[in-house]
Amino acid sequence: MRVFSRKWYKGLNLTAFSLVMAFLYIPILILIIFSFNNSRIIAGWQGFTFKYYVLLFQNTAIKEAFRNTMLIALLSTLISTTLGILTALALENKHFSGRKGLLALIYTPLVIPDILMGVSLALLFNFTRVNTGMITVLIAHVTFCISYTVIVVQSRLEGFDYSLVEAAQDLGARPSYIFWKIKFPLMMPGIIAAALLAFTLSIDDFIITFFTSGRGFDTLPIYVEGTIRRGTVTTINSLSTLMIAFTLFLVVITKRIRKILVSAL
Amino acid sequence: MKAKSRPSALEKRKNLSSWLLSLPALLWLLCFFLIPYLIVIIYSFLTPDIYDVKFEFSLAAYRQVFSGGYLRPFFLSFKLAIYTTLCCLLLGFPVAYYIARAREKLKNTLLIFIIIPFWTNLIIRIFSWRIFLSYSGVLNGILMNMGVISQPLEILRTDLAVILVMVYVYLPYMILPLYSVLEKLDFTLLNAAMDLGANEVKAFFSITLPLAVEGIFAGTLLVFIPALGAYLIPQLVGNQRSLYVGQVITYKIKNIPRNWPMASALSLTLLLLVALMLLIMYGLYRRHLARRQTQ
Repeated sequence: MRVFSRKWYKGLNLTAFSLVMAFLYIPILILIIFSFNNSRIIAGWQGFTFKYYVLLFQNTAIKEAFRNTMLIALLSTLISTTLGILTALALENKHFSGRKGLLALIYTPLVIPDILMGVSLALLFNFTRVNTGMITVLIAHVTFCISYTVIVVQSRLEGFDYSLVEAAQDLGARPSYIFWKIKFPLMMPGIIAAALLAFTLSIDDFIITFFTSGRGFDTLPIYVEGTIRRGTVTTINSLSTLMIAFTLFLVVITKRIRKILVSAL
Repeated sequence: MKAKSRPSALEKRKNLSSWLLSLPALLWLLCFFLIPYLIVIIYSFLTPDIYDVKFEFSLAAYRQVFSGGYLRPFFLSFKLAIYTTLCCLLLGFPVAYYIARAREKLKNTLLIFIIIPFWTNLIIRIFSWRIFLSYSGVLNGILMNMGVISQPLEILRTDLAVILVMVYVYLPYMILPLYSVLEKLDFTLLNAAMDLGANEVKAFFSITLPLAVEGIFAGTLLVFIPALGAYLIPQLVGNQRSLYVGQVITYKIKNIPRNWPMASALSLTLLLLVALMLLIMYGLYRRHLARRQTQ
């Protein structure tokens, strides 16, 4: 550690780190501060107010968009995580004859820009004359979540200690017993990580939803984009602040969940 | 060569159960990932209609693409992707390095600070930049109060704003893979190099950088490819004078008169460009691995 602890070298990295932190957080902080600003337009500080939070809770369009977002996120998380678990279990078999093809199919969506999945699904729903709405958005969200859930659950299985399973087999445990009592609990951290990832991806998505939702089915990102485009952004600051608070809540919660799981095992 | 032996009954049964387990995901991706691309291919050969497509064969879309009418959006997107990747790399490397060398206890906290923005809704993060950069926004207010400028600057709706926000959004995607390779880096190598007379700069270029190549490749993949298809950021902080591929494709689908064959042809061209970039990167990566083995 002799020379590399020289002050200027450390200082350089610390400076870069602080600058990047400022870059990452200043816009968000300003947004939070301005959500309490008593002004209809974004121009200077006009005094503190909770007005826009009150307006936010009176806005039925936002409430509906919130409900839609949560519904889609929960359902797509449930479906994509289930599919992810099943597929990861299939991929566990290294001699599985469809393994290579399946892996290719799972990794390809990750290296293609999102917009192309949106376009291709929009055309599919046009071609099949399906009315776009909740179901089409759900299908789209599951489609882009699957790859992530499979990979996350699979990576958990990769480091799996099979001696536990073998020991249980030697002791005469039934396969179903082994799965539910040993394997599944050990997979749990991976499953939770996969579900959380799917959930955040679903809440966050704009572009694929934009191409697959019809008129009348807005998720929050779609609603926010629309209001920005129309220029009626008064409640967006407060809405954003609440969503950031929700994110922080999730971060804390996941840490808790992880701790509980670790201590339980 | 593996000896060819007849698979045992147990292996056959395991194989069958693997097929059954993967069947739902397989069918799902077949229906909603592969088949849609077939439809994109079909639509690219059809005739546009105001709201829909006519099922009449036409090469008009490809003729327009290949005659160079859409060269500019592709060029702009490509340029944007390159700038974004480079800036993310230059900013992300020291940050990843700093976290990798931090005390064990501090590491996780620092990482969480990088990940929180990444978990915050994309559209909100873009929106916060609009507040920061807009004509009557915070940055202009600060600069005018400090007397640096007398008139507000038009920062929002410029190409620079697009790059800035792109870097902001994609930076965590670069930092995380870089961190994961730098974390494993054996820092005693650096000290050894410097004992042998290398200075910091030389040690960095001959040891740290070559060992971090894998992280650089991964980060580049995660930043460059999505940047090629960017729509939302150019749409919300850019201007209508410079349209990127993502915007052109979206307009062809969303705006009336619609031109879905054109959107399809442009999408397939973008897909081809992505595939080409992946091949190039894969080739470079293979060369890197081969060179490393000979050393």
